[in-house]
Amino acid sequence: MTLAPLDHRGELTTADGRTSVAPRRRPRPKTLLVLSVVVVAALALPLAFLLTEATNAGASNIWHLIWRTLSATLLWNTVRLTVVVTALCAVIGTLTAYCVERTDLPFRHVWAVLVVIPFAIPDFVVSFGWSSLSTWVSGYRGAVLVMTLAVYPLVYLPVAASLRGADPGQEEIARSLGASRLSTFVRVTLAQARRAILGGCLLVALVILAEYGAFEILGYPTFTTVIFSEFSVGFDTASACALSLVLVLLSLVVMVGESSVRGAGHVTRGGPGVQRVMTRRLLGRMKWPVVLGFTVLVAGALGVPVGSSIYWMFQGGAHALGGVSLVSASLYTAGYSAAAAFVATLMALPVALLVVRRPTRVHRLLTRTTFLVLAMPGLVVALALSYFSEHYLNGFAYQSAPMLVFAYALMFFPLALVGVRASVAQAPVALEEVAGSLGVKRRHVLLRVTLPLVAPGLGAAFCLVFLSAVTELTATLILIPTNVQTLATQFWSYQQNLSYGQAAPFALLIIAVAALPAYLLGRFFDRLPVRQGPSPARKALT
Amino acid sequence: MNELEIVGLDKSYRTQGVLHDLDLNVAAGTFVSVLGPSGSGKTTLLRVIAGFERADRGSVRLGSEIVDDETHFVEADRRRIGYVPQDGSLFPHLSVERNVGFGLARRDRRGKRVAELLEMVGLGGMAERFPHQLSGGQQQRVALARGLAIDPALVLLDEPFSSLDASLRAAVRNDVREVLRNAGTTAILVTHDQDEALSLADHVAIIREGRISQFDTPARIYAQPSSPALAREFGEVNFLKGVAKGGAIETPLGLLELQNAGSVEGGVRDGTKLLVLVRPEQIVVRSEGTDTSTAARVLNTEFYGHDAVLTLVANYDGVTTLTARTSNATGLPLRDTQVFLDVRGGVVAWPESDVTAAGNR
Amino acid sequence: MLAACGASSNHGNGVTLTLYSGQHVQTTDALVASFEKSNPTISVAVRSNDEATFDAQIVAEGSRSPADVFFSENSPALEYLQQKGLLAKVNAGTLAKTTSKYNSPSGDWVGVSARVSVLIYNPRLIKKSALPTSVLQLASPRYKDKLAFAPGETDFQPIVTSVINTYGTTATKKWLNGMKANATSHLYPNNETVTNDVNRGLVAFGVIDQYYWYRLRAQLGRSNTHSKIAFFSPHDPGYVIDVSGAAVLKSSTHQAAAQKFLAFLVSAKGQEIIAHSISFEYPIASSVSTAQPETPFRDLQPSPIDVAQLGTGQRAVALLREVQLL
Repeated sequence: MTLAPLDHRGELTTADGRTSVAPRRRPRPKTLLVLSVVVVAALALPLAFLLTEATNAGASNIWHLIWRTLSATLLWNTVRLTVVVTALCAVIGTLTAYCVERTDLPFRHVWAVLVVIPFAIPDFVVSFGWSSLSTWVSGYRGAVLVMTLAVYPLVYLPVAASLRGADPGQEEIARSLGASRLSTFVRVTLAQARRAILGGCLLVALVILAEYGAFEILGYPTFTTVIFSEFSVGFDTASACALSLVLVLLSLVVMVGESSVRGAGHVTRGGPGVQRVMTRRLLGRMKWPVVLGFTVLVAGALGVPVGSSIYWMFQGGAHALGGVSLVSASLYTAGYSAAAAFVATLMALPVALLVVRRPTRVHRLLTRTTFLVLAMPGLVVALALSYFSEHYLNGFAYQSAPMLVFAYALMFFPLALVGVRASVAQAPVALEEVAGSLGVKRRHVLLRVTLPLVAPGLGAAFCLVFLSAVTELTATLILIPTNVQTLATQFWSYQQNLSYGQAAPFALLIIAVAALPAYLLGRFFDRLPVRQGPSPARKALT
Repeated sequence: MNELEIVGLDKSYRTQGVLHDLDLNVAAGTFVSVLGPSGSGKTTLLRVIAGFERADRGSVRLGSEIVDDETHFVEADRRRIGYVPQDGSLFPHLSVERNVGFGLARRDRRGKRVAELLEMVGLGGMAERFPHQLSGGQQQRVALARGLAIDPALVLLDEPFSSLDASLRAAVRNDVREVLRNAGTTAILVTHDQDEALSLADHVAIIREGRISQFDTPARIYAQPSSPALAREFGEVNFLKGVAKGGAIETPLGLLELQNAGSVEGGVRDGTKLLVLVRPEQIVVRSEGTDTSTAARVLNTEFYGHDAVLTLVANYDGVTTLTARTSNATGLPLRDTQVFLDVRGGVVAWPESDVTAAGNR
Repeated sequence: MLAACGASSNHGNGVTLTLYSGQHVQTTDALVASFEKSNPTISVAVRSNDEATFDAQIVAEGSRSPADVFFSENSPALEYLQQKGLLAKVNAGTLAKTTSKYNSPSGDWVGVSARVSVLIYNPRLIKKSALPTSVLQLASPRYKDKLAFAPGETDFQPIVTSVINTYGTTATKKWLNGMKANATSHLYPNNETVTNDVNRGLVAFGVIDQYYWYRLRAQLGRSNTHSKIAFFSPHDPGYVIDVSGAAVLKSSTHQAAAQKFLAFLVSAKGQEIIAHSISFEYPIASSVSTAQPETPFRDLQPSPIDVAQLGTGQRAVALLREVQLL
């Protein structure tokens, strides 16, 4: 029996193990590495600031702050919230993705969009909506409810994408091998989506660690809220930074935990690129209960904040809107967010290419450190930029649009990376090699081959960053050009003054501005081919 | 006894019909190929047999149990059918061993049975590997072992070799047949590859537009195709016009024996005009003729080593070209020389009226 | 659009002041509009944020801070910058407009408006006569589960400082622990929540500054306002005046214009705007009085503690941390 030689190129192996083109092992230029190091260095700025400031606080002071029972309480609050919300998001995100992608759920195209939009609603708007609705929504249960509704799309999106990309035929095979429906769901479907679920959970956990606005409104103290009160009553940046380091440590724990259960990647790429007939699982009697579930979810995550905003808007208030028009605030919000999304996606490209094409231990570590920035409060990122700009760059670009855009790009870089990495991993390297062998310059290979292939993923990355930037507040207040207002800052100004009637239109506009990218994002994941195999590569090779 | 019996099967997706009133019987222990172009419904047939789809009409019986009819439907996990899909579809998150053991009870998943199966498909040392570390051929063998692990009554192979390199294909194909034969398992192979279908199977079911158009041994499929179109598909053809005469056919190449008289609709009466199939290797070419021989002129010769192909034009009208295949390579006639032709063995024929009515079916 | 830079709107040869304002947005906007009208050569670019964030930001910016004027909601935020030596002296004429006990003792900032600490209560849940009259009674066990307060609010630590000044650290610590026990399930992150929840009847009463209640009433209307406010007894240590003030940054390159803005804030014109604003604060300069709150500032009988004694409130913060309220 003849055995085909094993291919050692790991996850880039085509299913039949062919390497039809003798790979031209040309030395990679260092450009990719250099660019990545520059990006990672930029992302390390906030951490550098934290460390510098924290050392100013003095060891004994930090020691006192950390080793007291309140810290334990806050830690417990933070941990239990993170764990419970992450678990809930995993369940809700996975089940909704499964229903949308693999069952005959009625109106699934509508749901596919509606379940994504809640990500675009600022957490403080969701909490505000819920807490004005019922007194039940406060404290721990309020925080659990609101955060779950606000961030579950971070699990839904990658899981939906991975279910799309995964082979639905595997479920059938499992069934033919005697596995029951439930057993098939657990042993095959969940296993297919496992990495996506874990990746989504990681994002959820990091986002919750850094969340502030929602907890302030809901009155639930966590490590982050106490960091803010160190700023506000202690006037103690040093202590606040020291406490932020605890947050960084917590996120490290989360990341290590995630990567240890994540395990090594066994991503088998599609076989011959033949589109398999996919039969959607019939929900049968479960159909209308599932629709009801979706309705409740969307009502809670989307209906309540929108409804309460509309309610408050018509309640009105005694005080007219300020000078800043809704239109200009919307345009600035959209402009800054789009620019940030563009920059973050661009920054993510070299890092993603590096780690996917050259997945060494060092490169992987380099990539993962960038996730830490997600767990840092926006206030810290903004202050770090203030500090470095004023102290080392002569105030260059301080409180200018580019600086704000840069801050957003740093803060939401990990979201961009997730999207870009996924699509770079799917683009066949063989194609680039073919293009290379055709004598096309590497730069042109990137433009003409790689980019078009990864374009959908770049689009998804763009939308994720855009949605996050639209709702950003704390860094915006510090770095936005003077006299400019975004929707979030205007909402904040009015909400601070309990002028809910005036705040409401801005909340609605935030949702409106974010709805289009959310819609596109939902459509993007909905339209991914059922099965992504390296079929274009195959055509090109044979 | 038949392992599988399908009667009057209809299956359509939305408005588009895929299978129409399809019948198929597969005897226990045999290897059957279902051969058809893409879109002919062969994969749908397999999916209905496997229980991934439910038939709209008709019945499917497995062994002694009805698994699909108006009132019964046995789910895929209860049918004990080994399914080997097109691309192997191994579970990427499981090792080779775990893949093979997937359908076994928990305690057997790492046991002797799995090792035996891996040995059987020639992957003894690869239990710990993951699918992405295997070549396409190896993945197919793992998929086969996985399907066999549940000791299936029937194995379904859905174009399992189409994703393999031509060089690899023949080897894997033979291995698979060997394994199935040794296991004594009934198997159905779906393919669009003629050579594959004819060379592997005990019986071939030709499927066209949702119907089985012929079910026969490979040899009979070649020698006695059910339509001129099929005849053309399974090799080179010479079509001659003939007239029925006393159970035989009067043709320009002489009086030939009609083999498919029974299958011609309405029977063959004397005087019926027929279209006659003569395979190139049935034409015997000699330099000296007998009184039954027909004279012809050699237009062209193509020499292939093991045999040669002659293009001839018959003397009787000076127009009809014939193709003959001869293994007598040493005595190959030269171009433009005269030769004498005889037809070896019986032939199949169809009434000319049917053929024109049915077009090229 | 992205190239738009806010702070570049110079009028001819005039100057543009950058104002970091922790004060209410609408009131600040009204003040700035009026100032620009009377000083056409000076325009003011306003940045709004939390005052403490501004403190951190100004320190991070250091000597190159773009800010010219800092307008704060509470005196500790100003005292903090004063301690860091980042503030310039305020013109004597400006300081003279405000009672000296509401100005920076070293003349680094000027008091502009004031607020007073009050109790907010829901008459359905507690009778006015049952309310504490002294701040110390807040720790009394009879208010168990009836009290709400926001220990992290900038308005609360002046009360703590005042109690420390009167009764000493040990007694204050005991008092804080008592309050904490009474408010176990009603320790809120901010006074907005205290105000809302008392009004909604979730808790009987709480400690806030008066303007929160007036803003709530303006927003909800009188018919939806189910709560009332009450003062502590005269000169009680809990009866504290919080001063909102303004300062010129030392690093400002527009000192003269910045001083002009400060002078405007305490002028009769500026004070009138505050008196009729929706901040519901007391103007404390130029003898202007207010329509809402109804009790005139001169009729208040607060604790004698002054802004110098309140300082940055670090003793209070330390104590709050010690009892784990921060």
